Amino acid sequence: MATKDKNSWDPEIVVFACNWCSYAGADTAGVSRIQHQPHFRMIRVMCSGRIQPAFVLRAFERGADGVLVSGCHIGECHYIFGNERAIEQFEKTMSIVKMLGIEEQRLRLEWISSAEGARFAEVINEFTEQIRELGPSPFGRKRSPAKAGKGVAG
Amino acid sequence: MDAGRHPLIEVITNAEVVDCQGDPGNFEVTIHKNPRFVHEDLCVACGQCVDACPQVGGNEFDMGLKARKAIYRPYPQSVPGAYVVDPEACLNFMGFLDDKQRRRLEMIQKLKLKKDPEYTPNILVCGHCMDNCDVDAIDFDMKGEDIHKDVGAVLVAVGFREFDARKLGNYGYGRLPNVVTSLELERMLTAGGVTNGHVVRPSDMKTPKSMVFIQCVGARGEGGRPYCSRFCCMNAVKDSMMIRQHQPEVEDITILYTDLRAFGKGFDDFLQRSYDTHSAEYVRGRPAKVDHIPEDDTLEVFVEDTLGHEQRRIKTDLVVLSVAAAPNDGAIELAELMGIETDQYGFIAKKDPAISAVESTREGIYVCGSASGPQIIPDCVAQASATAVRAQLFLTGHRIEEEEEHMDAEPMELTGPPRVGVMVCHCGVNIGGVLDVDQLVEYASTIPDVVVAQPNVFACSSAGQDELVEMIEEYDLNRVVVAACTPRTHEPVFQETLSRIGFNPYLLEMANIRDQCSWVHSDQPELAQEKAKTLIRMSVARARNLQPLIREKVPMTRSALVIGGGIAGIQAATDLAVQGFPVTLVEKDDHLGGRLARPNLDLLYPNLRSAQEVLDEKIEILNRTDARVLLSTEVESMTGYVGSFEATFKGQANETASFGAVIISTGADLFEPDGLFCYGEMDNVITSAQLEEMFCEGRDLSLGGSAPSSASFILCVGSRDPEGFTGCSRYCCPTAIKQAMELHRKGIDTTVFYRDIRTVSKGAEEMYRQARGEGVLFVRIPPGSQPEVVGGKRAEAVRCFDDLLGRHLEVPTDLVVLSVGMRPGQPETENFQEMLKVPVGTDGFLMELHGELAPVETAVEGVMLAGTVQGPKDIVDTVAQASAAAAKASIFLAFDKVKIDPTVATVDENKCRGCGKCVDICDFHAPELVEIAPKLFVARINASMCKGCGTCASWCPTGAIIARHFTDRQVHAMIDAFFG
Ligand code: FES
Repeated sequence: MATKDKNSWDPEIVVFACNWCSYAGADTAGVSRIQHQPHFRMIRVMCSGRIQPAFVLRAFERGADGVLVSGCHIGECHYIFGNERAIEQFEKTMSIVKMLGIEEQRLRLEWISSAEGARFAEVINEFTEQIRELGPSPFGRKRSPAKAGKGVAG
Repeated sequence: MDAGRHPLIEVITNAEVVDCQGDPGNFEVTIHKNPRFVHEDLCVACGQCVDACPQVGGNEFDMGLKARKAIYRPYPQSVPGAYVVDPEACLNFMGFLDDKQRRRLEMIQKLKLKKDPEYTPNILVCGHCMDNCDVDAIDFDMKGEDIHKDVGAVLVAVGFREFDARKLGNYGYGRLPNVVTSLELERMLTAGGVTNGHVVRPSDMKTPKSMVFIQCVGARGEGGRPYCSRFCCMNAVKDSMMIRQHQPEVEDITILYTDLRAFGKGFDDFLQRSYDTHSAEYVRGRPAKVDHIPEDDTLEVFVEDTLGHEQRRIKTDLVVLSVAAAPNDGAIELAELMGIETDQYGFIAKKDPAISAVESTREGIYVCGSASGPQIIPDCVAQASATAVRAQLFLTGHRIEEEEEHMDAEPMELTGPPRVGVMVCHCGVNIGGVLDVDQLVEYASTIPDVVVAQPNVFACSSAGQDELVEMIEEYDLNRVVVAACTPRTHEPVFQETLSRIGFNPYLLEMANIRDQCSWVHSDQPELAQEKAKTLIRMSVARARNLQPLIREKVPMTRSALVIGGGIAGIQAATDLAVQGFPVTLVEKDDHLGGRLARPNLDLLYPNLRSAQEVLDEKIEILNRTDARVLLSTEVESMTGYVGSFEATFKGQANETASFGAVIISTGADLFEPDGLFCYGEMDNVITSAQLEEMFCEGRDLSLGGSAPSSASFILCVGSRDPEGFTGCSRYCCPTAIKQAMELHRKGIDTTVFYRDIRTVSKGAEEMYRQARGEGVLFVRIPPGSQPEVVGGKRAEAVRCFDDLLGRHLEVPTDLVVLSVGMRPGQPETENFQEMLKVPVGTDGFLMELHGELAPVETAVEGVMLAGTVQGPKDIVDTVAQASAAAAKASIFLAFDKVKIDPTVATVDENKCRGCGKCVDICDFHAPELVEIAPKLFVARINASMCKGCGTCASWCPTGAIIARHFTDRQVHAMIDAFFG
């Protein structure tokens, strides 16, 4: 299934989202039927502060081509300062990611509010394009046989 | 949304009150419910009818900027979620047919009637929606009905409508397409709105290069209403910032204003940010007219800049009118049939404008929000809670005494290896029209540990829920995955069903294959199908790792502590006591009343009632209750959390007692202007508080000299100060005007030096006009400069550069009054921050949980704020907030247990090294280090204080903290399943 032809290759992106803003923003995109790229999968947590380096690293290790961490705008976190902690965690994660030799463009942090359905779609489209440009992740490539098998199993 | 789900709230929409009889405590209200032609209980809000409807009608929610079908959902989050048929647009309504069609229809009906006398005319011209409704919810035979309700109290919250800008012909609204109102702009800026959040010119749908906001359209006397609408200034500032951020193509934004009324908490800081980022150019002046330039299809605004003293013609692409709020249509009729009064503008009148927060002129009927005059959101929310607590007075029989446990079934035995059941919802065509549901079901049944997978047309309908229960019982399931819509709205629905049969609700997982899949990827159905499979696979993986969680309960001490016996404390204590809750009010002085008590305050604006008289009335009511009042007593220390706070008093009462909820109403301090404006150096420079005291005691105003023949007020002393308190103190403008009028009436020539006149409270704008009418002089202090007090031993004059006249102005004066702002009350503010861990905002005042939506709650559950301890405000707003705080406290006190959400963090003490990182980062102070053996510390997390964000779990270096329901294992399992 997963051919190496650059055009037919589809990235696999993990999106971590907080329940109150960015996950809700993705729902809002749904309610307004704003179409966007379908190559990402959401993992919901209560607050972006919950997103620890291990989550992101695990995603890359398993073969994610990109990881998006998202939460409420600064000052709007449901738990007051959770997203400010998320920034610190994100910076730690980023330095490890760079150390591992993964391009830093594969990891991104975005604030999206529950009303910003259109922005959610925009961010997804733009990030998907960016990952497409970069091509498959170095970790993902090594695992390509397993990936190829997935298409059949699915 | 929450109201729609609350078991004690019945929402009757599409209805109006037609009659109200009886007395407080038992009103009989008649409500006429207009037919919506859709059965609310059957409709599952799938939207298929909308797709089928061929008819397009107008749309009031989008301000006519976008069309909608004749059957519609008013807006995406509406409650109830059911659709409505618009009889004005629907083809099935006779009124819509032309004469010929109607005659034909009448003929057919007559014929039918002849044949069958029982025949009810039901010829449907269209009926496409009915054909497409899978649950048969649409019913064109539905009739309007009158509903009778016996109620104890009535709350009026009918809101406002916008002033009709057409009345001001010179601005061209309604004639020039590119002149829009602020509400129309708001609909454009809403992300999910008509233009997806972009500003466009309605004439050509292009992005405007420049925009002009005109403030106070129809407000503050200009061709419309004399009052100020309160929200428009900040709204324009906010809009300008949003637009510049999201659409840099909009190069110039100009805001034409009269006074910038950034009076709310944090508003001035926001305004400053707008200055700093140059989001808009601010021009002071009211434009005369807006003209259309046909050559290049632009607009031209004529305005006299009253700061720069020049006539300006501003060329622009789009003009936004910040229109005033007007009473809602029908408000006067409603008031008439409810037997309550309206004010001279048609808003619902309050009993006493100086003190009543929510009382209407008839007992038992309360008013909140903009129904009684324009309001900003935090005040609306506070008032809404306040009305609720007042209404309680007449509902005592109905208060939930003990928690009504809806009889949960015996918990089911759910141990053993995971047995997962998957239900895949069609949601009509919402999912089924894009995804191949049968194939998803087939796929799901191949995932490890899945013992059964079934499709369902509407999983959330009552039939769907029954099938879910059957599936659980038949296959002996211990985990459930529902692949349907978003857990944010529907998880509670399914959880409730599961709880009913004793199935632990935390063993449910939802895969969002509608909102985040079929709805947003319908243009690529194959990829959407792939995504849905993965989402289901990930959800099953999480479900396998879910743990049953029990909602624990901790005991609630059913009594409240109110700290501070000013007007806020008195009100809050009274409201709680009349409901029958034990309440203790502590006051450090030997008398109640705080700032309202003599000799602090003489007369109240706007109706000049004596403060002491108003206060005495309030104290009298308090004394009739069972509230315990401790005078000359202070809170020495305080510990604990919601349900069991322990307070130690010192002073007249020396004791320790425990309380379930706490209201802090310790008030604010007044700024001490030492060394400013020669205060303290010259005898005849005094503060507004001192002047009030002199009024109160009837002292003469000579201050060691001769009786004054002229006086000057200087406003914003210690407020809006970049070095000190940057906010607005709200009370000072109207107070200064009131005082100025009093002096003026004594024959003293009075001048007021101001920055912006912020007379936002009810009746204050009128008072301002009256003062000007009577001859009080108002001089605007130019931005960046300060008035100066000149003189020797005594002040002789105030000097200022007057921007209106463009020259130095010296006003001889025998008396200088400094209108001092508010400061956080010390040491109380610091003490409570320390003892109860209530956070303090950047302005130094205790901080509310959410500026708009939770204005009286704090980050510490069970601790509420009332009055100026939270930030400067006037008396009416203080009283409203106090009642709101009481309402919130009574929610806790109504139960004898507090339920604790089990999705909180816990510590594995074997792994914990006691490093204390979690203690440092938690803003709710839930974790605590405990010494379990000498020098051996572990963290423990107080479940009553934990909000469940999981941040500590991500910071714990040893992985000892477990964020329940979002554990590492659960998240990792989902990641693995994505790529598995
Ligand atoms: S809740 Fe969204 S970031 Fe904290």
